[in-house]
Amino acid sequence: MINLPFAQRENIGFQYVLDALKPCSPYGEELVRELKPFEPCQKPELQRQLQNIQRVLTVLEAEAIGSGKKTRPEGPVCDLPEMQAEMERLRAALEQGEGCQKALDKLLLVFMTVKNVRPTAIKCRETALNEIELFELKRFLLKCDEMLPLFGEIQPILQLEGISLKDTSGALDLLDPEHNRVASFYIADGYSQTLRALRKEKRALEEQIRPLPDGEEKEALQAQRSRIAAEEEHEEMRIRGELSEGLRPYIDDMLHNMEAIADIDLTVEKACLALRYGGTMPTFTDSTLDMTDMINPQIADAVAGRGKTFTPVSIGLEKGATVITGANMGGKSVALKTIALNILLIQCGFFPFAKKVKAPLFDGMYIISEDLENIDRGLSSFGGEMVRFNQVVRQMGEGFVFIMLDEFARGTNPDEGAAIVQAVTQYLNDKNAVTVLATHYDNVAQKGSAHYQVIGLKDLDVDALQKEIAARGGDVGVELISQHMNYGLYRVEGKQDCPRDALNICRLLGMTPEILEMVEKNYDR
Amino acid sequence: MKPTLSELIRPYRSISIIGMCKNAGKTTVLNQIIKEVKGSGRILALTSIGRDGEDKDLVTGTKKPGIHVEEGTLVATASDLILRHCDVTREIIDTTGISTPMGDVVMLRARSDGNIQIAGPSITNQLAKVREQFFGHGADVVMIDGALSRKTLCSRKVTEATILCTGASYNKNIDTVIEDTAYNCEILTLPETADEEIRKTVEPLEDFRGTIIFGEQGPWTIPSGLSVEDALRKEEAKGARAIFFGGALSDFLMKPLLMSSAPLKGLTFVVRDSSKILLKRDNYDKIARRGITLEVLDTVNLVAVTVNPFSAYGFHFSKEELMSRMEAKVGLPVINVMEDAK
Repeated sequence: MINLPFAQRENIGFQYVLDALKPCSPYGEELVRELKPFEPCQKPELQRQLQNIQRVLTVLEAEAIGSGKKTRPEGPVCDLPEMQAEMERLRAALEQGEGCQKALDKLLLVFMTVKNVRPTAIKCRETALNEIELFELKRFLLKCDEMLPLFGEIQPILQLEGISLKDTSGALDLLDPEHNRVASFYIADGYSQTLRALRKEKRALEEQIRPLPDGEEKEALQAQRSRIAAEEEHEEMRIRGELSEGLRPYIDDMLHNMEAIADIDLTVEKACLALRYGGTMPTFTDSTLDMTDMINPQIADAVAGRGKTFTPVSIGLEKGATVITGANMGGKSVALKTIALNILLIQCGFFPFAKKVKAPLFDGMYIISEDLENIDRGLSSFGGEMVRFNQVVRQMGEGFVFIMLDEFARGTNPDEGAAIVQAVTQYLNDKNAVTVLATHYDNVAQKGSAHYQVIGLKDLDVDALQKEIAARGGDVGVELISQHMNYGLYRVEGKQDCPRDALNICRLLGMTPEILEMVEKNYDR
Repeated sequence: MKPTLSELIRPYRSISIIGMCKNAGKTTVLNQIIKEVKGSGRILALTSIGRDGEDKDLVTGTKKPGIHVEEGTLVATASDLILRHCDVTREIIDTTGISTPMGDVVMLRARSDGNIQIAGPSITNQLAKVREQFFGHGADVVMIDGALSRKTLCSRKVTEATILCTGASYNKNIDTVIEDTAYNCEILTLPETADEEIRKTVEPLEDFRGTIIFGEQGPWTIPSGLSVEDALRKEEAKGARAIFFGGALSDFLMKPLLMSSAPLKGLTFVVRDSSKILLKRDNYDKIARRGITLEVLDTVNLVAVTVNPFSAYGFHFSKEELMSRMEAKVGLPVINVMEDAK
C-alpha cells in the first residue's frame, strides 16, 4: 500500500495539486479529503475514473478551442483504441455544436448549493427525523430533482461510465405532497385530520387570547392553548415518524446520488487540472515507465512567477536502479520530485502532467531524502536516512515498488558515501522495484541498470558565456548560468567522461585562473 | 408631543436592543416592537445575541416575560430551542451553517402565534449574514436582541438603530443608574472618524492590537516596548494629529499617558468601536480635559433610552424623577417601558 507521509507528499508537490482542486459540492470535498492511492488490483476502477476524466477533458478542450484559448491537441488521446474512437466521436459531436458544456456548468452550479445531508440520510434508516432534518432532506431532494434533467442532457453525449443519478421524486412527494416545490418544510395540515382539527382549535384560542388583558380569563385560555399545543406536537411527532418510514426505501437512492455527485464533481475538477497543466491519459504497462515532458505544477508555477519556464522532464525507467547525475544547480532534485509526483498522481486517479506517459501500478512507493528525515527522533540526518532505508528494505518483499533516493548518504564523507551508494544501487538493481536515485558520488552509475545525466552546461559554449559575463560585470554570473542551464535529462550510454560542469561553473563565476589550473590537473590525475 | 417608541424606530429596517443589566425591560420593549411592526403589516424577523426568551431569567431566577411571536414572524434560533422549547406551529425555511452550543442556527417562519426562545449567532459577521438572509426571505424589519457586553454587535455594520434599556435593577442608587446610563450613551454614540487615511490604514487590519500614530510622515506603528508618551516625542511622530488604538483603551494604559507631559492637546484618539473603551468615568473625562477628541470607526445609532423604574429585587424609583433626570442627562428620547408598553 502506498502511504507517503504528509511532509513527503507536500515536498514532491502532491499537496499543491490537491489544493488546486476546488470541488463544488461537500461530497466532492469529502472525496478529496479521503483520497487514497489505488492498489494494482483496483486497476479497472482506476481506469474507469481516468476514462471519465478524458471524456470531461474533451468537452473542456472543445470549449477552450472554441474560444481560441487552446489549439486542437494532435495525436491520439491514448493507446486504447476504443477510447480513441470514442473521443473522436465526442470531438466531432462537440464540433457540430452538440454542446453539453452549458448543462454541465448548470449542474456544477447546483452542486455548489447542495449541503451535506449524508448523516441525516443515514440517521433516517434508524429513527424518526426531526423537522429540521426533514427540511434538510427535502432541500437535497429538490436539488436532485434539479440535477436529474441536467444530467439527462449531459449523459447521452458524455457517456460517463459507472455514474448515474436516481430519480428520487417519490421521496420528494412525501415531503411536499402539495407539489409546491418550495425549499421550506412544514408539517402541513393536510398530513392528518387530527392535526388540522388541533391547529384550528389552537388558532381560535389564540384569536380569543390576543385582545384580552392580563388576568385569570387569559391565563385559563393560555393554559388551554398550551394543552392543545402539546397535543399538536404529539401528532406532529407521529407524522414525522410516518414520513421517516416512508423515506426509508429511498435512502439508498439518495446515498447513491451523493456518491454520483462526488464522482462527477471530482472528475470535472481533475479534468480542469489536466486542462490547466497539460495532463494526459496514462497507458498502463507491467513494469516499465516511459514519461515524456512531465511537469511539476508547484515548481512550474513558482518558476513562472519569476518569469521563467519550467523545463519538462522526460525519462524512461525500468525494473532496476536508474542513476541520475549532474552538476550542482542542475535540477536533479526537481527531476526526481517531478517523477515521483506524476507516479503518485496516476496512482491516485489523476492524469499525469505530461505529454505522454506509460507506467505500471505500484504496490508501494518510498521516498528517501535527507531533508525529509525527522531529526526530532534524535538521529543525525545520516542516521535518519539509514533507519528509513532499512524500513524500506524490510517492506520491499511485499510487491512491486517504486523507490526514490535523493542524494543518499550525502551527509557522510565522500569515500564511504560512494561505497555505500554503490552497494545500495547494486542491491536494488535486481529487486522487484523501480528505483531512481540522484547522486554526486563517483562510480555509482556503473552499478545501476541505466544512467541519466542532467544536460546542464554540456552543449554550451562556455567561452562565449564567460565573455558575456565579463562584459556585463561581475554579479550577473549566477543569474546567467541558471538561464543557460539545461535542466533536461539525457541518457548516458556506456562509459561517460568525467562531467566538467562544476569546473565550468567555477570558471564562469570567476575563480582565480591559478586555482582553475590546479583543479584541471587534479581532474586529469 | 413626545414621540413614542414605535415612531422612533419606524424609519429603520434593522434594530438592536441592548440592556444595561438583567431585568432592564428589554424583553418588554422587544414585545412592544413586535406588536408595533405587526400592526403596520410588515414582516418582522427576530434573532438575538446569545439566549433570550426563557420563562425565568437563567441568571437571577426572576420571572421574565417570554417572547411571544405572532403568525408570520421569521425567527433565527438554535435548533435545540426550536425542537424543545417552542410551541408555535413552524415552517423551517433555511439553515445558516452557524453553530451555537445549542445546535446550528436555523430560520423558521411562525405559522401560528406562540412562545419562542431565541439564541442566535454571536459574531458581527454572522449577525450581518443572518440579517441579509432574513431580507432574502422577505423580512421588512430585523430585530436583534443584543447585550451591553457585546457592544460591537450593535454597531451600524449590523443594525441601523439601537435602543438602550436601563432601569432600577441596575443599581439601588438612582444617581448611579442615571450617571452610568449617560456614560454608556456617550461612549456608544462617539462620532465616527472622518479621517480617510486612518480608515484606509486600519480597516484591513482586523486583528491588529497595536497602536499607530498618524503624523506628517504617515502612519507609524509604535514598536512594542515603547510607551505612547515616549513615542510621541520621537521623530516619526512629528506633527501627529491622531492615534489609532487597536486594543482597548484601559485605565492602565491611559492613566500614565494622561498624567504625562506629552503633547496631547489637539490630538484625536481613534478606536474600532465603543466596546474598546474600558475606562472609568474620571479617566474618560480627563481625555476631554486634555484637549483630546475621541472617535471610533463604527458607531452606534442610539435612537432611544428606555427605563424601567421597577427593580426585579423589590424596590422602585419615582418614575417622574427617573424620567426627567434621565432625559436631561442623556439628550435622547427617554421612554418608560412600564407605561408606554400598555
